[in-house]
Amino acid sequence: MTSGIIAIAAALCIAVSTIFPSIAQGRTASKAMEAIARQPEAAGDIRSTLILSLGLMEALTIYGLLIAFMLVAKV
Amino acid sequence: MEEANQVLFWLGPLAVTSRVTTMWGKILVLTLLSALATRNMKEVPGKLQNVAEMAVGKLQDYYRGTLGEELCKKYFNVFATFFIFIIVSNYSGLLPGMGHLRGMSVPTAGLSVTAGLALCGFFTNHVIGVKERGFKRYFLGVLTSMTVPLFFLAVIEQIVRPFSLALRLYGNLYGEETVTENLYVVFPLLLPLVMQILSLLFCLIQALVFTMLLSIYVREALE
Repeated sequence: MTSGIIAIAAALCIAVSTIFPSIAQGRTASKAMEAIARQPEAAGDIRSTLILSLGLMEALTIYGLLIAFMLVAKV
Repeated sequence: MEEANQVLFWLGPLAVTSRVTTMWGKILVLTLLSALATRNMKEVPGKLQNVAEMAVGKLQDYYRGTLGEELCKKYFNVFATFFIFIIVSNYSGLLPGMGHLRGMSVPTAGLSVTAGLALCGFFTNHVIGVKERGFKRYFLGVLTSMTVPLFFLAVIEQIVRPFSLALRLYGNLYGEETVTENLYVVFPLLLPLVMQILSLLFCLIQALVFTMLLSIYVREALE
């Protein structure tokens, strides 16, 4: 019984923790594209800031993935 | 995960695992390349020196963007070392046999290596601050630049930063390895290739994010 609950917890953990960071990353990318379209000569600056922000948000999903790995090891 | 981190031999009280031997191999390769590229430096460079100059030039532009001119000139070596170390060890995960052969295992896919890197970054941050401003002025400046309720949040944030740096790098690389293995179990022929192509991009991004965050922290500590 507990092994079943741990399995469900691991699946739920990774599934839920990708929802909000992906929404946020989508918004960031769309604003970055608007900014590049409005001012193409600042494209280099905007691109590096975009990559940095995407990396920071990706980390939140990775924290959830790590917990899921630790739970899967205990199933 | 067990087979990737066997202890190979003991140097006194310290355990030498496959990650450590991979790091040694990487140090040897990088030292060899740098020695070859800077031997007989000419005005009009040959091929290897040209590539090395391009790489160093691009890194310098990148850091001049976040650090500013004078800081960049003084501390470029530290940040460039972080970047080259992380990116070479990230891409070493794409070599054949990584993680399965004895003695070859991606260094940054272990929490000990990334935690060590994050600690080094943390101390680099504060040591540069103290060096630039002097001991008392630096800490008093940090303390007085924020109001009392924000103070606890700022202290907590300072403590959490190395954790988040270490976990971000470790999680990304360990996740890439594990996903590649699981895809191999599902369909051995072409499916792991998909994840490896994706990890070409992500390894680079993670190296960039780590070093850019370090340089932003240093910049912010000196404001």
